[in-house]
Amino acid sequence: MSAVAMVQANSVTKQVNTQEGNLTILHPVSISVLAGESLAITGASGSGKSTLLGILAGLDVPSSGEVILNGHNLSQLDEEGRAKVRAGNVGFIFQSFQLLPGLSAHENVMLPLELRGDKAASSKAREFLERVGLAQRLHHYPQQLSGGEQQRVAIARAFASEPSVLFADEPTGNLDSTTGARIIELLFELNRAQGTTLILITHEERLAQLCQRRIELAAGAIVSGRE
Amino acid sequence: MMLAINLLRRNWRSGELKLLGFSLLLAVAVLSGISIFTNRLESTLISESNSVLGADYIVRGSQPHNPNWPIAAAKENIQQTQAALFSSMVFAGDEMHLASVKAVDTGYPLRGQFEISRVPFAMNLADIEIAKPIPASGEAWVDSRLLPLLKIELGDTVAVGEYELKVTYVLIREPDSANPFSMTGARLIMNIADLEKTKVVQPGSRVDYQWLIASDNISQLKTFVDQLKPQLNKHQRLIDINSAQERVGRTLNTSRQFLLLSAVIAVLLAGVAIAITARQFSARHTDQVALMKSLGAGATRIRTLYFSQLVLLGVIASLIGLVFGELLQRTVATSLQQVYQIRLGDASFYPYVLSFFSGLMCLVFFALPALWYLPTVPPLKILRRELAVNVTQVWMQAALALFAVLTLVILFSRDLKLALSISGALLAVILVTIAAAYGLLALSKKMVLRLGGFWRLAFANLQRQRGQSLVQILVFSIAIMLLFTLTIVRTSLIEEWKVQVPDDAPNHFLVNIPKAELAQIQTMLEQNKVRPEPLYPMMRARLTHINGIETTEEQRSSVNSLRRELNVTWADTLAADNKVLEGVWWDKWQRSAANLPGVSVEVDTATEIGLKIGDKLQFSFGGLLLDAEVASFRSLDWRSMRPNFYFIFEPGALDAYSPTYITSIYLPTQQKSFINQLLLDHPTILVMELDRIIEQIRSIVNQVSDGVLLVLWLTLIGGCLVLLAAVMGSIAARKQQAGLLRALGSPRRLIVGSICAEFAILGFLAGLIAIIGTEILLISLQKFVLQTQIQPHYMYWLLSPLSGAVFVSALGYICCRHTVTTPPAVVLREAA
Repeated sequence: MSAVAMVQANSVTKQVNTQEGNLTILHPVSISVLAGESLAITGASGSGKSTLLGILAGLDVPSSGEVILNGHNLSQLDEEGRAKVRAGNVGFIFQSFQLLPGLSAHENVMLPLELRGDKAASSKAREFLERVGLAQRLHHYPQQLSGGEQQRVAIARAFASEPSVLFADEPTGNLDSTTGARIIELLFELNRAQGTTLILITHEERLAQLCQRRIELAAGAIVSGRE
Repeated sequence: MMLAINLLRRNWRSGELKLLGFSLLLAVAVLSGISIFTNRLESTLISESNSVLGADYIVRGSQPHNPNWPIAAAKENIQQTQAALFSSMVFAGDEMHLASVKAVDTGYPLRGQFEISRVPFAMNLADIEIAKPIPASGEAWVDSRLLPLLKIELGDTVAVGEYELKVTYVLIREPDSANPFSMTGARLIMNIADLEKTKVVQPGSRVDYQWLIASDNISQLKTFVDQLKPQLNKHQRLIDINSAQERVGRTLNTSRQFLLLSAVIAVLLAGVAIAITARQFSARHTDQVALMKSLGAGATRIRTLYFSQLVLLGVIASLIGLVFGELLQRTVATSLQQVYQIRLGDASFYPYVLSFFSGLMCLVFFALPALWYLPTVPPLKILRRELAVNVTQVWMQAALALFAVLTLVILFSRDLKLALSISGALLAVILVTIAAAYGLLALSKKMVLRLGGFWRLAFANLQRQRGQSLVQILVFSIAIMLLFTLTIVRTSLIEEWKVQVPDDAPNHFLVNIPKAELAQIQTMLEQNKVRPEPLYPMMRARLTHINGIETTEEQRSSVNSLRRELNVTWADTLAADNKVLEGVWWDKWQRSAANLPGVSVEVDTATEIGLKIGDKLQFSFGGLLLDAEVASFRSLDWRSMRPNFYFIFEPGALDAYSPTYITSIYLPTQQKSFINQLLLDHPTILVMELDRIIEQIRSIVNQVSDGVLLVLWLTLIGGCLVLLAAVMGSIAARKQQAGLLRALGSPRRLIVGSICAEFAILGFLAGLIAIIGTEILLISLQKFVLQTQIQPHYMYWLLSPLSGAVFVSALGYICCRHTVTTPPAVVLREAA
């Protein structure tokens, strides 16, 4: 493998304590995603997709194994360190959009830029909202926007901070098929333009097929597309 | 910092911080309004009351003051003057009279003023002048009654000792005349510069030397006085308004405590509102924090961002609160000025600073604990919403809030008892609430089965959200408790004041009535429809021996009661406001083997002299000796406006001595001229006019009542904010349920009914617990702080639960009413 791995997971497992004892959510999983590559993680509900995404993005820590994101070994960092890595490298798109209801579309997109201390936050946010076709909706609040529009704001927010890796959790899960198709189109278009590494969870076959690679999880283990 | 400002602006705009900000603003506005107003009122009342004293402080003694003191006082820019009081015969031709002479220095009085006239017994305001300077050298101002007594007119001369003074004015009123028994002769005011020429004051003469001081800078004066105290010798006493005028002092003190209590309660209410809104704010921000963390903000960053927002909000709200507080107190002060013609003094800087920092303190102790967990929200929550978050425990929040309450009350009142009473009662309420709410909720569980319709739904909801219901009951009950406490305390205080000074309270003492004139005076009173209080025989006697040993010069100089002649009486029944603390009254009294008549002694005098029950005392009635045995110690109420005596003998003990008589009468203003007639016909009688001091007490009560009413309204707003905050907190869940029920086709009656019923139950339970808390708080306040009578408040036991139910259900209805008029889809979307 000549290209550099943007995200590398080595024998990552996740166990949680329950009343019935230890429950293994993720059996040892190893994945390597190259820079600029797109990967779809599919699987039934409860197969461990979200857990794996959380661990890969540094939102959660594995019970064992290690994750290296853009050269940073997340397993060796504390939460503060992982936050720093996320701030410089990671973007998210969520199934439920996760827009802050009190902020306008423009302010929602500005938020990650402001957190980074980006002085051009306002103009960049405006530019990305224009790119997702919401130039007329800058000052609308989430509840004044349709589901598709909200997801477009979320996409603008994710790309505005120009992340190395974009994690998307069921980005079309809450949308009808037509809107979902437009969102997918937009997502891949921006992904191509910026050369972002894309790791997404989806149920949708159509979306999975657009990714360069896919793996399928079942009961916490990779059952197809093994590395 | 810019991001914190941006976030603050956005959070404010989205309404999430509004209730928090308004609660804080209200807290600071009320606190500053009350404390600035109290500060101004206090300084005004003190200076008004001090006009009765003639100064802020007086050093009084049988020897002149230390000559170094005036130098030290001058350095501190403290105003000062002096006076010498003594009894002396004054002569005019063949007539003479034992007058009470007051020789005063330039500047006297420092507080208040002399009112003089060219018309003897002047009643008409137009005839009365305010004297700016003191009598010039060679002149004297005298009581009107001295003119008929000496058969002289204005412009004639009187001789004081070897010096003749021209009587230029009659004295209508003077400061420091409030002690009706301190003088029996007519007053003569002269210039202290003439004192030496009279040659009246010789070594060993009995003179009451006074050094008077006053300053507008109260704290500086207090410091000076504190330094002065240790320098006083045993012949000197420091007198301030509290010791000189117990009635005014006490009213002043109670008013101050009440206003502070109101302020503290207002802050507490606002504090509770702040705590609740902060809790709601943090609950709503859990997702936001998870998102910000997923975007790379670490815990430290989150903490800094939220803490900065809170401090910014605190500073802005506190500053605006201060402005409102200032406007508030100015409004009250202006209305006082218009109604009572009273100009309030300036406030010190202290209440402004204290109120500002109290706002920040409220935020730190009431709001910060609720937000404290936010930085610990795991970023993974953005993906897995079901993930548990370690929110700040309610008990931890309550403990910190209690600590804040204790600190704030101590800071404002500087009264540990008040702080402990409030904190203790709050703790009791919390415990009672938890126990009672659990019990009542459990009881209601059984009732659910028997109920139908919306009541069943309402009870089921309360059961399901037991924790939330408990918190709501707690908050409602604290708010209701505080409001009722304030209302009851205000009502009972004002009633107590009114009882203390009823409209027809005796306002004049008639002293020195000779037995021979008794019948004539009684007829005169009847003819003028003036009803006298009982007549008491009064004799003047000097206590000369204790247990057979003559009192020493040292004892006499240090104990006031041994130094001067005392007014004594006999009585068979104990006056209503007197209480025997030790020993027995005459109904149980039996003479000992010595067969001496019994005497009952006022308890403070007994302590000052160092008496015990059974001690043998010898009195000299103008040379006639009488031995007596101490039978009891009595407390008496100086506020009663009735004649009171330090020594009361058993009936028959004084039969051999010829007494004069004393009584008190009530004279309405329009009948005041009666006094002139009385004095003209009976010039030996001394009339003490107490109507002025009674007016003064009434004016203080009125001022404070008005101020307090406004404060009560402000506190009510605080209470409403708390209730609103508590209702708002649970409104989203209720809206969602209402939307669901509506979507499923439930009738409007069921939805509105269940919401109203649920809040009515909460309000009812809270009201019931609140009245228990109110009684606990009132008992501790009345016992330890206000020292008023403890009594149950039966009406409130009914009123509290009912008003709780009505008010809280009305609030609930107002907040949820649109759920039944708006399409369910919209309601559900909003609730989601």
